[in-house]
Amino acid sequence: MIEVKDLTKRYSTRLAVDHITFKAPEGEVVGLLGPNGAGKTTTMRMLTGFMPPTSGSASIAGIDILEDSLAARAKVGYLPERVPVYPDMTVEGYVLFWAKLRGAKAPRKQTAAVLERVNLADRSKTLVRNLSKGMRQRLGLAQALVHNPPVMILDEPTIGIDPQQVIEVRDTVRSLAQGHTVLFSTHILSEAEQVCDRVVIINHGKIVAQGKPAELRKKLQPDLHLYVQIDKLTSKEIEKLLKSIPQVENVQKAGDGYNVRVKKNADIRTELIDRALRAGGSIQEMRPVIATLENVFLDIVGKEDV
Amino acid sequence: MKGVSIIFQRELTSYFSSLFAYLIAFALLLVMGILFVNDLTIAADLRPPDAALVPNFFAFALIFFAPLLTMRLLAEEKREGTLELLLTAPATDTAIVVGKFLGAWAYFTVILLLTFTHQFILLWVTRGQADLGIAIAAYIGIWLYGGACLAVGMVFSAITENQIVAAFLASAALFLLWIGDRVGTVISNIDIARFLRELTLQGHFVSSFAVGLMRPEDVVFFAGIITLMLFITIRLVEWNRWR
Repeated sequence: MIEVKDLTKRYSTRLAVDHITFKAPEGEVVGLLGPNGAGKTTTMRMLTGFMPPTSGSASIAGIDILEDSLAARAKVGYLPERVPVYPDMTVEGYVLFWAKLRGAKAPRKQTAAVLERVNLADRSKTLVRNLSKGMRQRLGLAQALVHNPPVMILDEPTIGIDPQQVIEVRDTVRSLAQGHTVLFSTHILSEAEQVCDRVVIINHGKIVAQGKPAELRKKLQPDLHLYVQIDKLTSKEIEKLLKSIPQVENVQKAGDGYNVRVKKNADIRTELIDRALRAGGSIQEMRPVIATLENVFLDIVGKEDV
Repeated sequence: MKGVSIIFQRELTSYFSSLFAYLIAFALLLVMGILFVNDLTIAADLRPPDAALVPNFFAFALIFFAPLLTMRLLAEEKREGTLELLLTAPATDTAIVVGKFLGAWAYFTVILLLTFTHQFILLWVTRGQADLGIAIAAYIGIWLYGGACLAVGMVFSAITENQIVAAFLASAALFLLWIGDRVGTVISNIDIARFLRELTLQGHFVSSFAVGLMRPEDVVFFAGIITLMLFITIRLVEWNRWR
């Protein structure tokens, strides 16, 4: 697991990471979410031992990253944002090199297994320089996985690859949750929702929210919102009808229908159908509006920026 | 030291899979061969052929040759981003730098070994009369000299991401260290000139190894340069973490 406490990084005058504290338990994919320049990469670089923190502490699989950096590094598989490769090596040679350097117990066997896992086994003798961007991304994942580390740190692994490959990489990351702790950075909110068990939202180097995606959504939108589309009535009539229901707090036009906010714990659906039919209307669509992580993110980050 | 041998193997393999490294070796050996034949022709019936010709040629050629071998060692890793991965692997900065240096030195050693053919030809031409003592001392000297030049080259490769800049700066530094033994021609104070000459690569090669002398202070000088330059390189690599 990853445990981060008061981790801070200062670059001369700029505070890149500001006293962040979070945990990533074993078997979970934790998303580090934030806009560009929020401090995601710096956080990851500190956790992987690439750079020391200015203050605070962090441990990887129970090993303090400062007290025993080499042991902590051996427990991490890291994929930086820009997949670094040696173009003159073969796919197999490249992964084998990292397997040996990271102390894999059976480097050749593990290299073959990981290439199979990322669907590059048939390319094992190909020179890295001849791989497509998506394949390089998978190669990057292979080098991070090859020594079977308990912790995986992946910095925006789906950036710049085609949609099909994005799905493949997401599936691979999701499958990593079994037996690994995965810290996964992204600024694509829908991706975090699909892939991560928990999300840590970071902005200007500070953690502004953390929790399960559903919890974060609930925090932002505790009340039931409905989207309703009614035919055979005029806009005025519909608005009057909706506002006549006592539990309705707010009505807003949204496309062909209306977003209706109701009071906490109230359910107006039966009453709404009843009243609409009595008024001669016909309900075309009625569904709850669920806040996406995108709403949560924009709400939190937006407030921060103001 | 964990990781040294793995990084050493990767570097050495990388030289042997690089067309550029082959071209450098080819050019060097071609010029060497022409000079060797030329010296044999001139020496015929006049004087014994120069047994230290190959090492003497290398003493000059290394000014350009060593930076070409070392320019990519760290500069390319920085540019490609692989240095970030290396620095997050469970290997110390010292292991990374030493492994890379040994890889470059091993490649230089292979090229040096190829020039043994010239010594065999010399022995054959002189019917075994060539002075092997001078040749052996000069080869040991140039091997150490080469190590020192490569270590200087590594420092400049650690400074920049641009390989050309790294090679140019290293060549300039090596040229100063090479030509420095002629400091006596511009400084009238003998003691100062002698002291400055002691700091040059040529000062510890031309009048010792190249004439068949193996003095401990010369060996210590080259070993010291290698150690100092590697130490500086390690600090420069470390500096990448603290930026």
